[in-house]
Amino acid sequence: MGTNVLSFLSLAVLWEVAGRAMNSTLIPPLSQIGAAWWKLLSSGKLLANLSMSLTTLAIGFSLAMLFGIVLGLLMGRFRAVEHFFDLYVNALMSAPSTAFVPVFILWFGLGVESRIAVVFLFAVFVIIINTMTGVKQVDTVLVEMARSFGAREREIFFKIMLPAALPAIMAGLRLGIGRAVKGMVTGEMLLTLTGIGAMIMQYGSSFATDALFAVILTVLMVALLTMKAVHWIDRRLTGWKAEIAVE
Amino acid sequence: MRQSPANEGPVQNVQTVQIVRQPVRSSNALNELNVSNKWNESNSLVEIQAVSKSFHKTVKEQTTEVRALADVSLSIRENEFVSIIGPSGCGKTTLLKMIDGLIPCDSGKILIDGKQVTAPGPDRAVVFQAFALLPWRTVLANVEFSLELRRLPKEDRTKTARDYLRRVGLADFENHYPHELSGGMQQRAGLARALAVNPSILLMDEPFGAVDAQTRQLLQEELLELWQRERKTVIFITHSMDEAVYLSDRVVVMTPRPGKVAEILDVPLRRPRVSEEVRRDAKFVDLTNYIWESLKKAMENH
Repeated sequence: MGTNVLSFLSLAVLWEVAGRAMNSTLIPPLSQIGAAWWKLLSSGKLLANLSMSLTTLAIGFSLAMLFGIVLGLLMGRFRAVEHFFDLYVNALMSAPSTAFVPVFILWFGLGVESRIAVVFLFAVFVIIINTMTGVKQVDTVLVEMARSFGAREREIFFKIMLPAALPAIMAGLRLGIGRAVKGMVTGEMLLTLTGIGAMIMQYGSSFATDALFAVILTVLMVALLTMKAVHWIDRRLTGWKAEIAVE
Repeated sequence: MRQSPANEGPVQNVQTVQIVRQPVRSSNALNELNVSNKWNESNSLVEIQAVSKSFHKTVKEQTTEVRALADVSLSIRENEFVSIIGPSGCGKTTLLKMIDGLIPCDSGKILIDGKQVTAPGPDRAVVFQAFALLPWRTVLANVEFSLELRRLPKEDRTKTARDYLRRVGLADFENHYPHELSGGMQQRAGLARALAVNPSILLMDEPFGAVDAQTRQLLQEELLELWQRERKTVIFITHSMDEAVYLSDRVVVMTPRPGKVAEILDVPLRRPRVSEEVRRDAKFVDLTNYIWESLKKAMENH
């Protein structure tokens, strides 16, 4: 925590000094960005756009979470399901997701559905793969133990596989939320200009660099805060694992 | 090893007939002096009859057949403490899993109380080598796990689990997670979990193999005390000779892969056994040496 504050403060000072020294619109000093941010905030413009963007993020990520965890669990549990989806998941995982934006425009039009689809696509594969890996890495000794004490398939799944895979699932969600934020901004910039993405494009093309940086820093904060939130939930759910790592 | 599965059937059958007799005959010869044979017939709880098992191992797309067990026959009386000892890879653990019903026999059968084993049942419980505790559950919740699967109501589960944790000396550690405990304490929890379902047969798979020497001796003593009180039938897998002799009524010596019964030895030590006294007893030393020789012979003949 201490080093975080130190690195943040020194970067802020460096930025401020560099901005003032260069005296150019391209790199405005941090104080100017802060002022622009405050203006955007008090006018209500930032919050209005942010809430629109975050709604897209929440819906898209929830869908990705639901679909990703379910498919990941099935792929990890059943060889046949894994073989069936393996190739597509891996191909789509490494493909540039932005390539699908035109497809979504054709399928869902230019509305919010397309933006939700982009968020979903950005986030879902990393969740699938982490969940699947988590299930596949479950210690076979534990499964055998459960079976020996008379556990049925259902009980093995819910009492052994799911809790054992939870740390990996949470890691997938942590990576997924970061990608979802990327998807959110990408969708807003490439589809219809709305929300945070629209502000970035607008200020970027009008050389309002102080406002531009204010919005970009807001996006970074959103990414950081959502990841922290998932991390916090992770610690709550899998505290037993975190403690092992410390030892 | 062999080429087509079609050839396998008859070849294996021929071997079965040849080998079955050997361990039975040798065990009879060794047990001659003891009255236990008559007992065997009438009071046997676990009856292992000419059991064989092979595994298919695939390395670099080449599948070979590994014979783990060949014609193992053994009968175990109620309340008897039997150790099975043999070099690693002799199929001891495989045999234990088959008694538990986790894996099926290729040929032969295992009877418990006259009924053939097809799946794990409430009359058996396993204490695992690597403890097999659930890392996300506290010690208490781990012991409750076995009772949960038996559909016991929550209150009874907790009550029973606490009772058995007390018996293994873990009463003060019920809220600890497994990784917060030493290996010896983890295995005590494993033992409590197995005892909690009140099985008539306790299957122990090298349970003290992963703990240090002092703890090991302590756990052995505790196990004997528990066994004397609870009166269970124990089948105990080990590769330690003095552990086998100290604990058991009989010691079954197995040969390397494929595992066969080399000999079955009675342990003529009176109970209750006090560790320090027993280990100095001439009979203890003789028998341990004899098992050592027997294992060596089995390795050489292999």
